[in-house]
Amino acid sequence: MIFESDVCIIGGGITAAMIAEKLAELKPGTSITIAEAGSRIFDFENRMKYRQRNLEYGENAWAGDFLDDQAATGIISRTMAVGGSALHWGGVTNRFSEEDLTLHSRYGIAVDWPLGWADLERHYCEAERRLGVSAEPGAYAEDHPSQPYPMAPMTPSYNLILLKEWAEKSGILFNGTPQAKNTQPYGGRSQCLRCNTCEICPTGARYSPDFTFKQLLAAGKITLHDQTLVRKLVKSANGRRIESAQAVSRARNGEAVEYRAGTFVLASGYAWSPHLLLLSDAANSSGLVGKYMTGHAFIGGQIELDAKLYPGMNEQHSLISRKFFRCATDVPFVRHDLRVWESSAGRDPRLKDADGKLLLGDAALADWRARTVRGAARVRAYYDVHPAAESALTLDPDKKNKWGDPLPIIRHVLDDKTQARKVATREHIVSIFNLLAKGNNGRVLNVSEGNYLDHPSGGCRMGTDPKTSVCDSYGRTHDHENLFVAGSPTLPTGGCTNATLTFVALALRSAERMLNS
Amino acid sequence: MVSRRDALKTFGAAAAAPALQLRSEPAQEQTRDAVLVAIAEVVLPGEADRKAAVAAFASWIDNYTEGADTDHGYGNTRIRALGPSPARNYPAQIAALNTAARAKGAASFVAAPVDRRRAIVEQAIADARVERLSARPTGAHIATDLMGHYFNSSIAADLCYRANIARDACRGLPGSEKPPSQLRTSAPGSRSSAIGHRSSDIGNDL
Repeated sequence: MIFESDVCIIGGGITAAMIAEKLAELKPGTSITIAEAGSRIFDFENRMKYRQRNLEYGENAWAGDFLDDQAATGIISRTMAVGGSALHWGGVTNRFSEEDLTLHSRYGIAVDWPLGWADLERHYCEAERRLGVSAEPGAYAEDHPSQPYPMAPMTPSYNLILLKEWAEKSGILFNGTPQAKNTQPYGGRSQCLRCNTCEICPTGARYSPDFTFKQLLAAGKITLHDQTLVRKLVKSANGRRIESAQAVSRARNGEAVEYRAGTFVLASGYAWSPHLLLLSDAANSSGLVGKYMTGHAFIGGQIELDAKLYPGMNEQHSLISRKFFRCATDVPFVRHDLRVWESSAGRDPRLKDADGKLLLGDAALADWRARTVRGAARVRAYYDVHPAAESALTLDPDKKNKWGDPLPIIRHVLDDKTQARKVATREHIVSIFNLLAKGNNGRVLNVSEGNYLDHPSGGCRMGTDPKTSVCDSYGRTHDHENLFVAGSPTLPTGGCTNATLTFVALALRSAERMLNS
Repeated sequence: MVSRRDALKTFGAAAAAPALQLRSEPAQEQTRDAVLVAIAEVVLPGEADRKAAVAAFASWIDNYTEGADTDHGYGNTRIRALGPSPARNYPAQIAALNTAARAKGAASFVAAPVDRRRAIVEQAIADARVERLSARPTGAHIATDLMGHYFNSSIAADLCYRANIARDACRGLPGSEKPPSQLRTSAPGSRSSAIGHRSSDIGNDL
């Protein structure tokens, strides 16, 4: 089967949804085909039931949202379905800061991004509008958006109000975390009902790409081929263009499918985008496809404090401070966000007391109550780490999918400067936790360090020099004029806070250039 | 080649028969539920609605689906299926409770006075080497499974904090800036049991 369209988007996640929506608006009548390896799971009407099964049994609320034979070593999510990982994201929509784009020129580390802050900020505003973000302007003037957030911020729970009072005794200012959750009906979706299970939002208040895809399909603006795995991009004779994408239909027993398009958009995320380029020997004249895989590291902790908290009021809503997004240039470099959640850590009901005595019935309840007199907070800092060139996604010769294609293997390697400051970074973050704990007679119960990089990105980093980057600031590959890489793979550095909004903002910026190409 | 996942599913399907059998035998179910009530008097607090807690636990067991896909959300890449029902272990455990009761001079565990039942349950938990309450039943022992199921529920958290937090309910945003209303627990049985389970804290976020 051969399908022709103006634009062929490979991958059906949040960046694909945003690009398709924007292209359809900017140039009505553009034929857009989306090929997604996973299935479409458009059963929102069952979400409440699935949520309940998940709460009770831990069952997957999106049955069949993965491919048995399409796994990768080092990935962070197996989800492969229309909607991608954002089907069950928490909806956090923090922005990066201006410093992220100028690490090299400001601090002499990593690389600068090939675009300016004002340009990115404009697309943050657009991303917030399209996703439906509820937030308040940040406590620090540098973080104020140039346009108002689309919705009023999430009502802080009683717990969060107390925690804010406590945390700000440190002198650090906090706000509610921006979220793609409706605090009023928005985008055809309902208002948040505070179900406390945002990853499985049963009301539709938290943005999910399947809503966008359904709207675009209903309006006849896209063609969506799910269960269609693109295995290879085919280059033109002179190598300057991508002529077609070769795929197999999982729904039709592996029948060959060919996509021909004026523009190809690779929107398959940080793992599968560079993977397809490597399989295709495409866009890789720099030798940097799959290199500079990045993300951010994190340190978390639990703090006990004097406060009567009620865990469970809205566990997924948190506070954020952006104070440490900025770092003076005359002190050792460290950048991080700082989040605070309600927590029940150390306060779970237990079967035995500290002496090993069995607690049954009333004794178990009395013990539980005694241990919940004081409150607890969970704290966490995502901090800046930067990748070495050896931080790579490569093809694993030992693991292949059912079609015989080698699967990806990802190994993160941090650059020398990041490794050199690791101890100091940890000491700084722990000192902040201790500073927070001073309020309300608190104490840090534990500190733990993440053993992976969160919100992974990179692998097709953007830049102005074709020798040191895979694509330009719009995601257009230096090697192929009609091939764009969208979102997460293009990031040169992974920032120090949740990255989904940044992926979307960059993708929206790319969409404008696609129409001009 | 049969994948590990397929094998689990196959196993799950094959294993489902005895689990369903447990449910389809009314007499057996009646015995199980009577024992659960007798256990509840020992392991659940007097302030709890024990009848509702037992009913919720029995419902959990009866609706367990062996081989069902489990959550593999962000940060959790392991694809797993639910294993054999914990309830497969219960008939033997119930039989052991009855044997212990008869050894102490009672006709059955259910018929034994509460202090004797307590001693039997304490010994059974020690023998099973259960050290902590699991958020979801594991089959380690029916008594600790019932206990863990209740104590990790939203309803038990409300009882602990003496407040209507309603952790697992969709509650709306208005009013959430105020402390939850106080729980009135004047009489056992006044609280219905809407039970969901979750780990005590939430990991990293997208």
